[in-house]
Amino acid sequence: MLFAFLGLSIVVITLDFRQDAGGPLDRAKDISSAIVTPIQRGLTAVVEPVGNFFSSLTELSSLRADNAELRNEVEEMEQRVNEADAILTENERLVGLQGLDESYPTMERLSARVIGRPPANYKWAITIDKGRDDGIRPDMAVIDPDGLVGKVIRADADASTVLLLIDPQAGAKARIDGEPLAGAIRGNGASEALSFVDVDTDAEVSVGDEVVTSGYDNGIYPPNIPIGTVSSVESQKAALEQDIDVDPYVDFTTLDFVQVIIESGERVPSEGD
Amino acid sequence: MAVSANEPRSPGILGDIGVGRILVMGTMVLLAVALQSTLLARLTLLGVIPQLVLVVVVSLAFLDGPRVGVVVGFAGGLLQDLLLPQSIIGLTALVYTLVGYGVGSLRQFAPGESVWSPVFAVALASAVAEFSYALLAIILGQEWVSISFTAKVAGLVVLYDTLLTPFAFPLVRRIAARFRPEKVYRW
Repeated sequence: MLFAFLGLSIVVITLDFRQDAGGPLDRAKDISSAIVTPIQRGLTAVVEPVGNFFSSLTELSSLRADNAELRNEVEEMEQRVNEADAILTENERLVGLQGLDESYPTMERLSARVIGRPPANYKWAITIDKGRDDGIRPDMAVIDPDGLVGKVIRADADASTVLLLIDPQAGAKARIDGEPLAGAIRGNGASEALSFVDVDTDAEVSVGDEVVTSGYDNGIYPPNIPIGTVSSVESQKAALEQDIDVDPYVDFTTLDFVQVIIESGERVPSEGD
Repeated sequence: MAVSANEPRSPGILGDIGVGRILVMGTMVLLAVALQSTLLARLTLLGVIPQLVLVVVVSLAFLDGPRVGVVVGFAGGLLQDLLLPQSIIGLTALVYTLVGYGVGSLRQFAPGESVWSPVFAVALASAVAEFSYALLAIILGQEWVSISFTAKVAGLVVLYDTLLTPFAFPLVRRIAARFRPEKVYRW
């Protein structure tokens, strides 16, 4: 009997690998959702005040710390506005995003609100309040004013799931802005830096270099979307690749409003291509 | 307590378990999934969500043996895959099926009425489940986080699951005992 169910599990796994959208597993998901969602809604209604109470208890000290830290940050930022370097960095990043508008004059973006996070321990995703009815399809890139957020992996009728860049599965092909050398971004989970992988050991990468999408991945992520800056480079002589950490521009813990790139449109080549 | 019988268990897949019992176990698993994705998703321990479904699977396997362990493990795992997808669908089903079988088979080695046995079973099962899932996902070609990150999360999951057991196990046992069929096979 054990083997019967083991066999069944393997069949399910194989199905997941081989099916496209709309297969029997998707229908199974829909059926299970139909059964469990009412229970979840009922539970949430009852449980939300309790949950909020407990989360606020556990969050209290970190909220206080965040508050103090944010106050310091605000002070620091007000000072930095007067510093030439800060203005330049800020300016370059904005040019990157504005460059987006320039590179893609006909880009169509749809704003959406983050309505939840699918609860899982090894998967980092968000649910947004727009779906198939609004024109969203899987594999569309998602950004926010700071930079690349991730990609759509599931589009239901009126909500979608977006896999965040910090998830190891999200993987965007990337390069250093202004340079042809290419690699890929690999997430390492929450509160860990992104990894910039598959980069040639000969390539010159320095801390502070800006990382953007390269567009070499079958059109999922349009090129030139800002991702982050290089925060550390470790290059061992014997190793085949460099160990490069990237600090993302986007704060994945406070995502609120994002934009889904429905259509990147015709790309106008810019300098540095 | 029900009177024990000296007759051997009758063959047949779930013949001697009873429809009422099956329904109740199914409901418990359903509730566990719903709870895990709502209340427990907000009561995270350092960002980690406890695996209540696994606790329920282990509890039922511990109480009723390997056959129940396999079925409940598969059902709970599959539900979790469908509703709280993490990586490949079917992977949790596979892992929980094996865990259910393992716990159900090894429970006979647990000392009689010790309070710690189910707690230990959950701790061990959680550790095995977390690492097996990660390992299988990597083998099947999925990109995964680092080993240290997995260990950090797994350690927290084991801790959290263990903390839940003294609350979950007695409840599961009480509900399951209500629906025990007359012909009890005492071990």
